[in-house]
Amino acid sequence: MSIEAERSVVAMGSAIRLRFLSATVLLFALSSTLMLSVSATGNQEVAASTISEAEQSMAQAYEAVLDAERVGADISGLLVRLNDAAALLSNAHMAFEVEDFEEATGFAELASEVGYEVVDEAELLEIEANNAQVDKSWLFLVTSALGVSTVLVASLLGYEFFKRRYYGRLSKMKPRGGLS
Amino acid sequence: MNFQDYRTLFQVGSLAFVLLAASPALSLIVSFPRGGESFSELWLLGPNHMAEDYPFNVQAGESYSLFLGVGNHLGHSAYYLVCAKFRNQTQPLPNASGSEPSSLSSIYEFQFFLADGDVWETPVTFAIPGASIQGDSVVVESVSVNDRILQVDCSSAWDSEYSGFYFQLFFELWLYNSTRSSFQFHDRFVGIWLNMTG
Repeated sequence: MSIEAERSVVAMGSAIRLRFLSATVLLFALSSTLMLSVSATGNQEVAASTISEAEQSMAQAYEAVLDAERVGADISGLLVRLNDAAALLSNAHMAFEVEDFEEATGFAELASEVGYEVVDEAELLEIEANNAQVDKSWLFLVTSALGVSTVLVASLLGYEFFKRRYYGRLSKMKPRGGLS
Repeated sequence: MNFQDYRTLFQVGSLAFVLLAASPALSLIVSFPRGGESFSELWLLGPNHMAEDYPFNVQAGESYSLFLGVGNHLGHSAYYLVCAKFRNQTQPLPNASGSEPSSLSSIYEFQFFLADGDVWETPVTFAIPGASIQGDSVVVESVSVNDRILQVDCSSAWDSEYSGFYFQLFFELWLYNSTRSSFQFHDRFVGIWLNMTG
């Protein structure tokens, strides 16, 4: 084989290697981009579903707090905690808007946690307030029954006393004058 | 007065005392309607916590402050959402009488719970970090509210009548509706006009 032929073979080999290398790099870049985009889509879906769950937990917590409030429970402490959760949920929404899905997921998870804790506490408070309401109702009923009974007995006795006194005074009144 | 009159007087007096004694039990059955109107307040104050000195002539990169407040007079605790939005003169405002919020997307939001009779107030700092002049229009590319930057891409042409490039920052009040399990526009919004001067 002549020198020129050998050079030509070497050049061909280099070109093949170069093509192979380029193809490998291109393939790597493409697969990386694809993986990144798949991962970003996955993160977005996770963030969206976590935010949705946080919204549900907040709604449940609010309903539970309203129920507790209706039966007269002191819900001021729960509102403070709900406000913390609401701030976290707002942050989650805004992080999602700017496509910071990891931060959005983190905020939403914290909000969910607080929301579910508030649901449990609100239910306990509602039960306590209901029990207190039942006790109060019994107290009111007994007080009223005693009060009404006392008033009725006092009225009857008073009426009898007044009637006797009235007729006694009437019988003492003697007609003036008489037959001579 | 004869005896019949005395007896009637006695009966009326006894009945009054019976009602008085039964009032604790009656209070469990009879409930009186809550007086007054149910409503929510929404307000925006200037940097000195007064309804004056609102930011008007604004420059890109400068920070401006406001105070945003909500009052709950609904008779029960409420779950509110306030959406901050940014628009030019031609973009839609909310229709408060038709319960229609603006179709623009929020650049910032506040969510909070408020007990009946309570008020919520927060400082709001805003800036326009990205703005440019394109022909005879000013294009606001981004708005920052409480240090959170959001792309808006909103342009305003020169208003020859009022001599300025006008934009509006406004806040919509939304209320959580338990029946529908979602937030609904609560027919209230407040906002300020901004003239981009440079």
